[in-house]
Amino acid sequence: MPARFPVITGLGIVSAAGFGTEEVWRAVAAGTSGLKPLTLFQSPRYGQIVTGEIQRDLIDAGAPTRSSRSDKLGWLAAREAIADAKINFQNCGDRAGIILGTSVGGSYDSEKFLATLIKQGKMRPRPTRFHECSSTVDLIADSFGLFGPSMAIATACSSSALAIAQAAEMIMSGEADVMLTGGADSMSRMTWGGFHSLLLVDSAGCRPFDATRGGMSHGEGAAILVLESEENARRRGAKILARLSGWGMSCDAYHATAPHPQGAGATAAIQSALRRAGLDPAAIDYVNAHGTGTRDNDVAEAIALKTVFHNRVPPFSSTKRIFGHALAASGAMEAVVCVEALIHQQLPPNPGFSKCDPAIGLEPVTEMRSAPLMHVMSNSFGFGGNNGVLIFSRAEVAPHTRAPKNIQVAVAGMGVIGPGAVTVKEITAPLPPGNGPVHSCGVLKDAAMLTPNQRRRLSRLQQMAIITARHSHSPDPAQRVTIAIGTGLGCLEDAGTFIENLVAKDEREPMPTRFPNSVHNSPAGQVAIDQVAHGMNSAPTAGETTFESALWQGICQLATDEADHALVGAADEMDKYLLSIGQRWGAWNETILPGEGAVVVSLAGADKIASPLARVTRLKLGRYRRPFDAQIEAEWIAAAVDLSKVAVLLSGAKGFRQLEPRYDAVAAALSKLAGRPLEHQTYKQLCGEFHSASAFGFSVAVNLAHEKKCGVLLYTLSQRGAKAVCLIQP
Amino acid sequence: MQISTHELKTKIIESLKLQDITPEQIDDDAPLFGTGLGLDSIDALELVVLLEKDYGIVIKDIEEGRPAFRSVKTLAEFIAAKRPQ
Repeated sequence: MPARFPVITGLGIVSAAGFGTEEVWRAVAAGTSGLKPLTLFQSPRYGQIVTGEIQRDLIDAGAPTRSSRSDKLGWLAAREAIADAKINFQNCGDRAGIILGTSVGGSYDSEKFLATLIKQGKMRPRPTRFHECSSTVDLIADSFGLFGPSMAIATACSSSALAIAQAAEMIMSGEADVMLTGGADSMSRMTWGGFHSLLLVDSAGCRPFDATRGGMSHGEGAAILVLESEENARRRGAKILARLSGWGMSCDAYHATAPHPQGAGATAAIQSALRRAGLDPAAIDYVNAHGTGTRDNDVAEAIALKTVFHNRVPPFSSTKRIFGHALAASGAMEAVVCVEALIHQQLPPNPGFSKCDPAIGLEPVTEMRSAPLMHVMSNSFGFGGNNGVLIFSRAEVAPHTRAPKNIQVAVAGMGVIGPGAVTVKEITAPLPPGNGPVHSCGVLKDAAMLTPNQRRRLSRLQQMAIITARHSHSPDPAQRVTIAIGTGLGCLEDAGTFIENLVAKDEREPMPTRFPNSVHNSPAGQVAIDQVAHGMNSAPTAGETTFESALWQGICQLATDEADHALVGAADEMDKYLLSIGQRWGAWNETILPGEGAVVVSLAGADKIASPLARVTRLKLGRYRRPFDAQIEAEWIAAAVDLSKVAVLLSGAKGFRQLEPRYDAVAAALSKLAGRPLEHQTYKQLCGEFHSASAFGFSVAVNLAHEKKCGVLLYTLSQRGAKAVCLIQP
Repeated sequence: MQISTHELKTKIIESLKLQDITPEQIDDDAPLFGTGLGLDSIDALELVVLLEKDYGIVIKDIEEGRPAFRSVKTLAEFIAAKRPQ
């Protein structure tokens, strides 16, 4: 199906170097740095260090007021991209979706809540309303009317490269015709204090690949691409700016923050992207490097380039000194640079470089120059050894991008940690009454299987993920393993403690061990190290549909033959702030108790597993319309799933009150469509209420399908608009 | 000024939350990183925090601290030499 090749028809960008593609390209071509001394917040210790902070007023620029700083950045970039593509989403039904990379999320705003609490002793949780990393996705989807698949991907500095790759998979697999994709991240005290605690910041501003480089510069921003199938773009007469012809992901599985010293993961991701695009290394005309300016990154990246391209490394440059390092947004901002480079046929320079480092042995482009560019590559590498590489090509080049296969996926193994359950039998037993005010997992039952270093350094969330992954799959270095473990809120306790400490001690005595745990991909990254899993490593986050988003990513890697096994799951933990904020907002009551837990399942092609627990025969993601209409929802489900195969509808009811009547109404409407009453079961009475509880629901569905030999439909609604339906059969 | 290596070991154990290890089990000359205690670059950064908090020594570049972090003995010598009087 050649018409499903993804093409780019719109771009939007906001950055310290300018707003809009024109202004930004002028700065990039001239090599003008956008770095300036910090003004966004008080930094008692590092106050005057230069950053890529955006100093324009975002509300004046038109951003919605009820949103976080990251949301505002993302929204402004989305508005430009949509206008650029001249697309009207009203004509797209549920065929237009959104996947963005976000790592900081609403932290900048949530930190105000912590600062008020610590310095003034006042509990004012309003700024935390937009804390979730998926908040930007939900805001843009609601604001511009997107009803297709939606999720955020939070894999630190590679987030938006992974997001763009996943958006392309949505188009290639036929799940969507148009995807808004890219990323947004604001500056925050946490990442500011965090990178300083790791001694990774160059106080003179970053100088990527230079012999005297001393680290990175912080930054912030957003960039959005309108990605659509070529067929769709041609049908509506859109101008095609470029193609996304290849993408590759990998994981170092080496260390929480340091890259593999020989750039092994980076090399694998570049090679995977070339394979996907069907291109030889010699076809690449330019590389936009990750080039953060830290000693280790730049050396490892240079080794990767030399490994792939041998003595013919293409012209390359890092644009980090122009924007600062905008973390999760950087891959998307650099994607814009790559597309503009293809359009202008010009090589962007690498400001900050003056002297070649013998340890690198390569010189980047130092001044803008014209060159014939057909295929260009963008590298993004993040914490957890998380690598994403994208290849963009001129619109007129015939693409050879490999399409996904239709495969049957089966569940080979399953690991669960819940408040009342660590075995299959326990899962189906209701939570014991009188379990205190919360459903806590307590002391982890299988903590003995962790190494002493895992016990002393990792958060509970990471430990839960490692234990459940071990129960689902035995590490086997001969197999290609991909990991997608989502989380709604990440390692809350470590992130909270880290910021608390920064605020209380005015940035003295930071906690460098806690900071790397604060990124949402830290559980997935630690599982990769534990399982020696070098395939794609993702951490999607999408409110209540977080698990299904991970499931989708894992299945995709199997369908494109990038992995033999996919370990997919989700995990969430509670902390004192979540408990007290939920209390204040009336989220909990006698019957709905906050919970926590982790589930990881091992998936493989059904033909590869001798005795599977169950098969996953259909998965569809989307967003529901407001006001909620149960009939429309039932019809959406019936269009996706053969209802004759369904015996039980399993939903997350007995959780948040707003969702409860919706599940009941959809169950009734679906029974009518099926022409027989469907049994409606719920699972939150078994695990409590938490963002990724549908992972627990999935484990219940697998048990039901396995034991009762019947089809189970897992249906999940997020409070903020996302939805998912998944059919599990024996 | 001399630093007691015993005191330093106690601080390291506490700062890095090392489990099931007593100061007596750490050899003055044994390598702290890689093999030995199995510490890594993030543990080194915790030691940077410890040096500043307890001894007033500020390290801005980890390369500066690298020779000092070789063993408890080298660390004690580094502190003795750099400690503000």
